[in-house]
Amino acid sequence: MRWIWILMALMATSILFAQTPDTTATEEEEDWSLYDDLSFADEGAKRFCTSKVTNLSPQKLISVGYDFQGGYDVSAGSFESFAAETATVTASHGLRLQANIPLLSRNDIIVQLNANYAEQRYAYADNQTLTHPLHRWLNDNGLRTMGLGMTVFKPFNEKNFLLVQASGDNNGDFGWADMPSLRNTRYSAAVVYGWKKSDRMMWGLGAARTYRVGEINYVPIVLLNWTSSNGKWGTELLLPARGHLRRTFNSRNLMLFGFELEGNSYRMNNRSDVETLADNIELRRSELRIRLAWERSIKDFIWLSAQAGYRYNWAFEADNFTDNREFFRGFFGDQPYLMENSLTNTFYLLFSVNLVSP
Amino acid sequence: MRLTLLVTVCTLLISLTSLAQDAGDRLVGVWEPSSGKARVKIEKIGSKYFGKIVWLREPNDPDTGLPKTDKNNPDPALQGAPLRGYRMLKDFEYKGEDEWGSGTIYDPENGSTYDCVIKMKDDNTLDIRGFIGISTFGRTDVWKRLQIPGR
Repeated sequence: MRWIWILMALMATSILFAQTPDTTATEEEEDWSLYDDLSFADEGAKRFCTSKVTNLSPQKLISVGYDFQGGYDVSAGSFESFAAETATVTASHGLRLQANIPLLSRNDIIVQLNANYAEQRYAYADNQTLTHPLHRWLNDNGLRTMGLGMTVFKPFNEKNFLLVQASGDNNGDFGWADMPSLRNTRYSAAVVYGWKKSDRMMWGLGAARTYRVGEINYVPIVLLNWTSSNGKWGTELLLPARGHLRRTFNSRNLMLFGFELEGNSYRMNNRSDVETLADNIELRRSELRIRLAWERSIKDFIWLSAQAGYRYNWAFEADNFTDNREFFRGFFGDQPYLMENSLTNTFYLLFSVNLVSP
Repeated sequence: MRLTLLVTVCTLLISLTSLAQDAGDRLVGVWEPSSGKARVKIEKIGSKYFGKIVWLREPNDPDTGLPKTDKNNPDPALQGAPLRGYRMLKDFEYKGEDEWGSGTIYDPENGSTYDCVIKMKDDNTLDIRGFIGISTFGRTDVWKRLQIPGR
């Protein structure tokens, strides 16, 4: 019987060893100056700048949105035996999905995978009388973009960093039943070398290979993320792609005013019932969106973003590739377009629900 | 004979529990997040680990000139609490294999609390992963151990 008492005594000792008083309720006075002048325990450790600036609008891990453009006219240019034709679109609209998933997060490098899907459906006012192929194709199939990309933030020390972005987009009038060929993937890339001046400011200079103007181009880049000392105002600039002035009401509620240049080159392969001699047509679509955006947390990490603005047509021409080869026209090239098209301008709305990053 | 065996087994059990606790206690210390904006002291309270802010690179609010408070806290009653001394890591338990879990991390910059797992990469490096629901939707920050002179 004695061993039972010994066992109970040992168990009680064990429990006593495992528990120490919970002192969450009381706080000893700390000498904060103890923590002023500390060095890393690991002598080889280095400090690196981060990619964040105080009060920057939150990064979206997952975004599900819907884009709507009000009515406008589409003027399709003449080509081959097709006469120019202007038709009215009552609205164009489409789903937008985005995912930005961190793959590697270390102090000395951050790697993120980006995926996106966007569609634009065109609702013509009188779709029974359309004769121009471009109208028929847009009416029947709309436009889609699917892309994958990678973003790398590489800090070298507490001040300097390199930002590299690369992506491949497949754009066109394809549907789920006729997925596009990878051969038509359009590649973009950007490199920025930057300086993190403080927790409130980072800036950088770089260059990009971009399709934002609808066709391939090479442009210089200026990055400037800045927040005022009271945290209420700031800028989020990555020129010429986008630029916003930010007003922060609190950490869960902010407003942005600015613009974004959106664009890509869309392969028009889906002929519906309209055949043309040109069989490597790419629509050079680009639009400038001048906007006011309101972003706020609706519950914890779920944020709502509501944009309203003016959609200004930048480009809507079409090329036909000789031997299916992309070419560079740039700002000064004089290669003729297959079709010289244009859109009138209109208002737009974009709503999205977002899961934001920690 | 039987009694000796029993005492030996119980002693072994106590030693193993104590060893596990000691392994968990390696988390205790002062750490610096990657941003370098703050320093966090991790302590053991009861059987769990908590981390409080003990140093801020910018201790005063530029608007008021007074010590920073937790002004982004969604609970208005807590917005006046001083940021220095604030417990931003809470309720971590040692899970074995250099991992502490079941805790939360609070980000004073946006007033959000995230689920969190801490992994010790080596004695002086922590991977702190804050996430939303599942680990995929999260971000890892690397914290470095700081040395207090004379300790």
